[in-house]
Amino acid sequence: MLKAIDLTKRYGGHTALNNLNLHVRQGEIFALLGQNGAGKTTTINLFLGFIEPTEGSASINGISVAENSQKIKEYLAYIPETVMLYPNLTGLENLEYFSLLAGFSYSKNELGKFLTTAGLQTQAFDQRLAGYSKGMRQKVGIAIAVAKRAKVLLLDEPTSGLDPKASNEFSQIIKTLAANGTAILMATHDIFRAKQVASRIGIMKEGNLQSVIDAASISANELESLYLKTV
Amino acid sequence: MMHFKFITVIARQEWASIFRSKIPLALFSVLLVVSLLATFTGWQYVSKFNHQQRAAHQQVHDQWMSQPNRHPHRVAHYGYLVFREKSALSFFDFGLDSYVGNSVFLEAHRQNTVNMSEAGFSNGMLRFGELSMAMVLQLLVPLFIIFIGFQTVASLKQNGVLKILLCQRASYLDILIGKTAGLTAVGWTLFLPLLLLSLITGNLLTGQVAAETLLRIVMLTILYALYFLIIVILVVAVSAVSKSSKNALMSLVLIWMLFFIVIPKSAQTLGSSLHQAPDKIAFEQTIEQDVSKQGDSHNPDDPYFANLKANTLKKYGVDSISKLPVNYGALVMQEGENISSDIFNRHFDHLISIYRSQNAVCSILAFADPYLAIRNISMNLSGTDFESFTAFQKQTEKYRFEKTKKLNEIHLTQIKYQNDNQQKVSAKNWQQQPDFAFQPLPVAENLSAGSFSLAALVLWVLAGFGVLAYVSSKREYQL
Repeated sequence: MLKAIDLTKRYGGHTALNNLNLHVRQGEIFALLGQNGAGKTTTINLFLGFIEPTEGSASINGISVAENSQKIKEYLAYIPETVMLYPNLTGLENLEYFSLLAGFSYSKNELGKFLTTAGLQTQAFDQRLAGYSKGMRQKVGIAIAVAKRAKVLLLDEPTSGLDPKASNEFSQIIKTLAANGTAILMATHDIFRAKQVASRIGIMKEGNLQSVIDAASISANELESLYLKTV
Repeated sequence: MMHFKFITVIARQEWASIFRSKIPLALFSVLLVVSLLATFTGWQYVSKFNHQQRAAHQQVHDQWMSQPNRHPHRVAHYGYLVFREKSALSFFDFGLDSYVGNSVFLEAHRQNTVNMSEAGFSNGMLRFGELSMAMVLQLLVPLFIIFIGFQTVASLKQNGVLKILLCQRASYLDILIGKTAGLTAVGWTLFLPLLLLSLITGNLLTGQVAAETLLRIVMLTILYALYFLIIVILVVAVSAVSKSSKNALMSLVLIWMLFFIVIPKSAQTLGSSLHQAPDKIAFEQTIEQDVSKQGDSHNPDDPYFANLKANTLKKYGVDSISKLPVNYGALVMQEGENISSDIFNRHFDHLISIYRSQNAVCSILAFADPYLAIRNISMNLSGTDFESFTAFQKQTEKYRFEKTKKLNEIHLTQIKYQNDNQQKVSAKNWQQQPDFAFQPLPVAENLSAGSFSLAALVLWVLAGFGVLAYVSSKREYQL
């Protein structure tokens, strides 16, 4: 579903991403671990089409991102580290607005169901986003992705700054999405969360994907050791 | 590619988000009060001015009509004061009215001018000192649009919402056009009814809403709508290329200063330095010198008038002016009038062409500054522009010439040369003369005078959409 072939991004003399080869299949969660500047966000931005690759290609569902940046929007959804959205709109209004811009017109009931699926409590639906916690806003972000029926979900540090309970809820939700066939690429610093949700984990350093590990084959402690050794 | 469906959704959201905040409404309330005040004081000033002018005109006319039977040349020197009423829309846009005169004293042999000062003719920034509805719409509404719109895209970039928006199916161009549509709808909804209300109420209060005035009102409304659209496009484009809301605001305030202070002032200075106009004294001295060169009717040895005398005697087949069937003195005076009027018209046309060249600098710079474009066309359509003033000056000179010519004809045919000074003619002779009534320029001529500004406004709109398309195509403006 998500494929990178020799994907490279250079800014002048600096190589932000070097020859990334990656394939995330339908229903799979791939976690990219790495320090700041390792190339995780560059990878996400290349898949989103916000930056052009210097070399190589990124594709979604077999469609080149660089050549069809508009077309690939049909398939993907994106959740950044902090989902801000529109603070003056309620959760329901935000979801309705983003859904309309994705080409979907839902009834209030349907929108409510998406928010429930994303784990947001009913009483929060009609509250303005300005009063939401970060975790609640992330849930609206997930609801936007669900409502869009995205086949690919790109997450950039989605659990950063969330309390353990909210982080755990978030993990459960994206696991459910993956179980329903969504391909998920998640950039994160959180080794524990990566081990908890991912099918495979890639460790990045200075723009290079150093290793790819099957999450089921390694314990959290082993992963931490490997990560510290790598970076 | 644009998607009308998404543009509508974004525009509605923009509209709703503006009205959710109290700040735009507070700002609008201030502008509303200022606008109403400007309209009321403008209307009050114009009505009072026109009322006083009508009274003065009536007084002058009564005095003229009550002259007793007298010598026509005395009547010619008695003089007549003519007035120009302010145009129906001058309360909306004062234009040059504050700097040019509205009355001329007409007399024989002299071409008195209305205020001919440079400040009077040029479109200077002296107008900052006055408060008109046009000034509010031209200078303050752009500030309002800047304040409600500067963060429209920049804030989305800053907090990462733009990335999520761009991951939906709407393109960046849809987002920019949608934002433009939403902000424009706000500007139009708040200020176009206010503009129409001001114009129509102001006219109804004066008790006359001519069809042509209505046409002007419709055109002004359309052109101000275009102007607001241009400002919105500019605000959205700057917001879209700025990394943060703070940068966008600073850039827009700088642009405001450039467009509304620096360029207009520079245009004024550039125009007057490129095309230098003589001052009033120099202008009148040159005319006097040229008249003297052509011929002095009071000098018996003047060759031009000696020639005129010889030709007249020959024409009538007599050897002395006392034997002429017409009054030779009147003939000489009319010839002097022909000469001086011709020379005045020539110099006046030249002076006008200099001022036109000065104003052309402003018109050309309207392609670099939309404020200059709307300022010029607004004055044109309000009948307070340079051409309207020039038309008044020309009409008064034509009227003066015809009036003097008629009196000279009376002198020529009804007063005997031999006993010239002692004779009188009936007052009916001048009582039957038509009164002066200023004919304002038709709307087509006003539009023609503002054609550059009109073209500049249209070009600004087209270029604005071009800029939005360019910005939306650049990835660096999406992050």
